[in-house]
Amino acid sequence: MARLMVKYEKCGDAAMLSHRECMRALERALRRSRLPIEFTAGFNPRPRMSFSPALPLGVAAEAEYLEVSVAGGVDEGEAVEALNRALPEGLRVREVRLLAPNMPKLSRWARYGLYRLEREEGGFHLLLKVSGEGQARLKDALEEAARRLGWVPALERVVRVGLYASPEEVFEDVRGEVYHYDVEKGELRVLEE
Amino acid sequence: MDIRGFLRHELAGVSRPGRYLGIEVNARRKPMSDAGVNCVLVYPDAYEIGMSHLGLFILYEEINEREDAMADRAYLPWVDMQERMVARGIPLFGLESRAPLRDFDLVGITLQHELTYANVARALDLARVPLLATERDDACSLVVGGGPGACNPEPLAGLFDLLVIGEGEEVVHELLDAVKEWKAAGKRGRAAFLRACASIQGIYVPSLYRVRYRADGRLESIEPERGAPLPVRKRRVEDLDAWRYPRRPPVPLVESVHDRCSLEIFRGCTRGCRFCQAGMIYRPVRERGEELLKRWGRELVENTGCDELTLASLNSADYGRISSLVDDLAREMESRRVAVSLPSLRTDTFSVELASRLRRVKRTGLTLAPETASERLRRAVNKGVSDEDLLQAVSSAYREGWRKLKLYFMVGFPGEEEEDVEAICGLVRRIMREGNDGSPAKGLQISVSVSTFVPKPHTPLQWAGQMPLPEVARRHFILKEGLRMRGVTLRWHAREMSRLEGVLSRGDRRLLPVVLEAARHGCLDGWSEFFSWERWERALDAAGLEAAWYAERERDGDEVLPWDHIHAGVDKAFLWEEYERAKRGEETQDCRFGACAGCGACPEKTGRRGLGEEAG
Repeated sequence: MARLMVKYEKCGDAAMLSHRECMRALERALRRSRLPIEFTAGFNPRPRMSFSPALPLGVAAEAEYLEVSVAGGVDEGEAVEALNRALPEGLRVREVRLLAPNMPKLSRWARYGLYRLEREEGGFHLLLKVSGEGQARLKDALEEAARRLGWVPALERVVRVGLYASPEEVFEDVRGEVYHYDVEKGELRVLEE
Repeated sequence: MDIRGFLRHELAGVSRPGRYLGIEVNARRKPMSDAGVNCVLVYPDAYEIGMSHLGLFILYEEINEREDAMADRAYLPWVDMQERMVARGIPLFGLESRAPLRDFDLVGITLQHELTYANVARALDLARVPLLATERDDACSLVVGGGPGACNPEPLAGLFDLLVIGEGEEVVHELLDAVKEWKAAGKRGRAAFLRACASIQGIYVPSLYRVRYRADGRLESIEPERGAPLPVRKRRVEDLDAWRYPRRPPVPLVESVHDRCSLEIFRGCTRGCRFCQAGMIYRPVRERGEELLKRWGRELVENTGCDELTLASLNSADYGRISSLVDDLAREMESRRVAVSLPSLRTDTFSVELASRLRRVKRTGLTLAPETASERLRRAVNKGVSDEDLLQAVSSAYREGWRKLKLYFMVGFPGEEEEDVEAICGLVRRIMREGNDGSPAKGLQISVSVSTFVPKPHTPLQWAGQMPLPEVARRHFILKEGLRMRGVTLRWHAREMSRLEGVLSRGDRRLLPVVLEAARHGCLDGWSEFFSWERWERALDAAGLEAAWYAERERDGDEVLPWDHIHAGVDKAFLWEEYERAKRGEETQDCRFGACAGCGACPEKTGRRGLGEEAG
């Protein structure tokens, strides 16, 4: 049994779908794609899949992930096309990759979420823990940022741009100011590269 | 603020915004055009209900397949969304086009259920389409009604320019052709156009009929004007296989009440239960071909990604080749982990065994509908099952491993005594004691679901009175006391809701102001959190009308009924004969196994195509 990683974006109108609705749409797309997906046992079989931590409703995302178990070989390029044919507008698969057996599970590494807060004269990035101990709510982080920085955009101009295992990895993808919200200390500080 | 801007700003603040996006997989999103006919199909209830409605998708498919027409969809927004729309001056819009309803040539509204009637008025009001047909000028959208409620649309008749009586597949094209021509000629002379439409069989133009009342409130007469037909005969399609079927329906983005894809295997039912409107107005039975159904089932699953395929009809075990259909589909779907299900089961061993063969993928509960536990009442309502049938069905379900059972009963039948209701408790007790082939059915859980009888137009019981509320309450109390036993839960349909259904189902045109008044102060009556009987009582009082007069009054045979000008397929004389037999406690056999009862549904055809032996 192999694992397939599906990287997708959720933007435009699809940002208005709840986490649960988004999971359903993806499950249906997987069923339609005819990929050799594995199902759970029992009286109500579901695809064996897991998702990256829930995204608040109304927030768009550029790189969300799901992992699904598959029985056999998969053509990664064809899988992207098959899934995109079966998804509602705004949910778009960017990449499908077969994972090596030693790769950590999604739930093990997708711990930190990085959000881009946009405005015309240059926005900034906000990092917070989205799963496990010290998990923070985006709403609290935005409130804190508004208090400290005097400004945050409306929710529709907040985009989750990526998920990371540790704060340091963030700088592989972004430049510029990144604020880290630490829920335990209740503080917002600039992340040092 | 325009509709798109409104959605951008407000959606994040409303509950389940996915209901208002219109980006479902398989949504056609066909552009509106000046040359073609632009239609919007409205299901007047929440998205979660409307997206499970097959009839709307059948029309959506028929219309969108035409090159010269398009169909968008709309549902009644949830209350929080309605408030924001009103506050920002945003009219009700088509989900896919995001265009106001009033920009469409045709606004088609489904009348599925009386509890949605206030929603119809609310939807038109939100759309800012003039409410009354008489207030609309040539430029206004045509407001068209259809669905089972159109068999007696009188309480809402004033809202509609025209209504389609019966099945829509064929007649929708004749209507669209007429609208297209009228539009090309500049949409002049709405009244003349409507008169011309009235000559299409199945189309009812309420403004062409004058209703007179007697001093005592009953109808004096219904008279057609200017050559309008009397009666208006319903449309039905002869060969279902010849018509398209929504094999690529839009897939709900938000979890809906029936989260599965639906394959209609046949239409009509000849069992002849005397309270059942669907069993009368959809006659005769017409089955789809088995091979076609298997192909369509496959396509539905491939096109939607749903994990359940339901074989829909009024009584699916009656399908002539049900065994091989079920076996072949179940085998094929198992490899895809798609469950095949039957929505409604007869109370017999055959049906239970059939359902058992479908349990490989998904374990669901089993539902049986004995309706009553009294042999006398069963004969009166022509529900041809016995206690023994039910007990055998339960035994076989228990043997097959089912432990959860849902039983549907109805109270409030004409002539029902309290001991008939007590018999329900006795029967349930007996099931618990003997449900396992004569021994106690250990671990069995029974959920008893009770509804109240509502006399419906075009049924043999259309002349009967509905039981007064206090008496229904007493029956609920009897059940509550009598069904206090381990493993049994009791649920009943709110009696005031059934009361409202009883008032509206046999209502006349004088109820329109009542519906409009009730709609001004609320809507979504099918939802217990919004339903208010007091609101309706106030509206009835204000109009000087009485609920009891409409709901409880038994009608005489010679009384002019508000729907007498509409012929829904079965003859009034047959219905009266059946009513008499009901009073005498005489059964009438299903015409597929016994003699023709002369209902009038199939004067020229028998409708027995494809019926095998095994369904018996």
